Amino acid sequence: MAAAIVGGYACAWGFTALGVAGLVALGMAYHEAEAAAHMLAFLLFLAAFLWAFVAAGLVRVWLTLGGGALLMTAAAEALQRSLLA
Amino acid sequence: MFPGFRHAMAWVHTWFGLVFGFVLMACFFFGALSVFDREIDRWAVPQTRFAPQFMPSFDRVLLPALRRIEPDAAEYAVSMPALHDAAQGPPTPRLELPADEYWVYTTHRDPVLSMGVGFRVPQPKDPDGHNHIHGSATVDPRSGEAVRADQLRIGSAWFYPMHYSLHVDWLYLGIFIVGLAALTMLAALVSGVVIHRKLFREFFTFRPWKRTQRSALDLHNLTGVVALPFHFFFAFTGLVIFAAYYYLPVSQFQLKPLHDRHEAMEAAATGLPHQAAGVPAPLASVDAMMAEAKRRWAARGMAGEVGYLQIHHVGDANGYVSIYRAGSDRVALVGEGIHFQASTGAVLREDPPRRAVMAIHEFLSGLHLQHFEHWLLRWLYVLGGLLGCACIATGFVFFVERRKKKHAATGGQGSRAVDALAVAAVTGMVIAAVGMLVANRLLPADLAGKGDWEKAAFWGFWMLALVHAFARGGPVARARINPAWRKQCRAIAALAVAAVLLNWLTTGDHLLKTLVTDPYRAVAGVDLALLAAAGVALWAARRLARRGRGKAGRRPAVAPPPAAGAEHG
Repeated sequence: MAAAIVGGYACAWGFTALGVAGLVALGMAYHEAEAAAHMLAFLLFLAAFLWAFVAAGLVRVWLTLGGGALLMTAAAEALQRSLLA
Repeated sequence: MFPGFRHAMAWVHTWFGLVFGFVLMACFFFGALSVFDREIDRWAVPQTRFAPQFMPSFDRVLLPALRRIEPDAAEYAVSMPALHDAAQGPPTPRLELPADEYWVYTTHRDPVLSMGVGFRVPQPKDPDGHNHIHGSATVDPRSGEAVRADQLRIGSAWFYPMHYSLHVDWLYLGIFIVGLAALTMLAALVSGVVIHRKLFREFFTFRPWKRTQRSALDLHNLTGVVALPFHFFFAFTGLVIFAAYYYLPVSQFQLKPLHDRHEAMEAAATGLPHQAAGVPAPLASVDAMMAEAKRRWAARGMAGEVGYLQIHHVGDANGYVSIYRAGSDRVALVGEGIHFQASTGAVLREDPPRRAVMAIHEFLSGLHLQHFEHWLLRWLYVLGGLLGCACIATGFVFFVERRKKKHAATGGQGSRAVDALAVAAVTGMVIAAVGMLVANRLLPADLAGKGDWEKAAFWGFWMLALVHAFARGGPVARARINPAWRKQCRAIAALAVAAVLLNWLTTGDHLLKTLVTDPYRAVAGVDLALLAAAGVALWAARRLARRGRGKAGRRPAVAPPPAAGAEHG
């Protein structure tokens, strides 16, 4: 349950951050990118949440959601730096 | 973790649905009431029972009213020490703070309009920050006189925030609980569809003559499926609306540097002055600007009224007036803002049409916030919300019915506790809402802090219903029906009729008058909804009584409690 809620949330956060930074990098206006990322992020959260209960093992859930979240957040951070540089 | 996909989905559906069902019940019920929040306001504040007004003259009515607004004392006490830089001198006294921003807002359903002033802190610690202390008022647009501030607008200031924050303001906890509940709702819908694969057939299945458990499940499926898109979109759009501020505020944290730079760039691209010039300047006629804005909207084929007006940098040479259109003729939340130089009235900028993504976002927000003027659609929203309540309530009933025989045999108390909570969440919630309206009419109009007494009545009625449900819950542990369902249905009926009668006695607005001789639809609508709620509650009470007399488990078992048709305004 914690994996579904916390992991799913972290994943949604990473996705939003990366989505915004990525779309901005592709030339979309910031607030437009934000709106797009938010709308998709909740669908991702929902999918991650449900998947967490179906997946084969708890370790796999944590690794996938946590790892995915970390990767996307880090990528967003790197992208932001390069955009601001 | 679970043997099989459907098993996992059933577990998610049952347990998340149960725990967050209590929250979702409040979201759907008070959300349904919020569709007619302004009308409930009129019922609760009888002095404001007059026709909705268009934006009145700014120069003659609104400006003097704005100038009468003072900075809020409580906010001053908290924010002034935080914003003011003591190194530059003593803090500016509250009543000497200069006005920096004016705003005025009205809708097609509001007789009164709300307005506010942002007062500037002259010596701020952070010159780039939002250094405002606010003051606001609700005024009668015919005269500009303020409506008394301690009159609680029960619809828009109590039921409406209830549906997204539960009035748990500490750390925005209520908002986050509702957010998680909304996600749960989405998960419950998906898992529910997975569990019941034979959707189409179940859609046409309702067997009220069967056992309570079976008919409750039929109704649960029916109400869930018939409004499936409604349920999904409201949970989803609710999340999207709050995403930027509460749920996923990446722009305030991780991406703040990127956000701030782009915001500055976007602001610069509009050509509107971000900073005050520091040079005093007079204010030209805002009425002329409103007329010009309306002319330009009409020229674009979207004639309309002014819904929102904001003046930035009041009294400064860089001051400008932003005028937004009231979007009551379409679903999407649009403003079509036109910006004027405050000192001359020259047009500085017209907002361009939105691009695709923003258009979708505005459509989704507008879909949820429903500022439009389509009365049939508004009633369908209420119906959708109440179907959501019925779906959740029958879910509770099914949960209890399925377990109570086993619990009765083993001496478990689980189903009794869930049943009592369900009574409180279904009939108890309606009692709280209707009881609040009764309190509103019973308390004298000039009672100081009347709104606080009404809130106390709201929670008091609800607590009473909860205690009653637990106290009378014994039969559930013996696999029978809790008599609290029936008794609270009767209480709803009594309170609802009392509210209508009290409205007549205290204001003279009886239904004959509000419907026929001197029509006033808002009050008539609330009265009729209360009477309808009373009718449904009485009917439910009779069915429950008949069922209670019959042998348990046999004939008629209409489980769905009255939330299905309960009070709406």
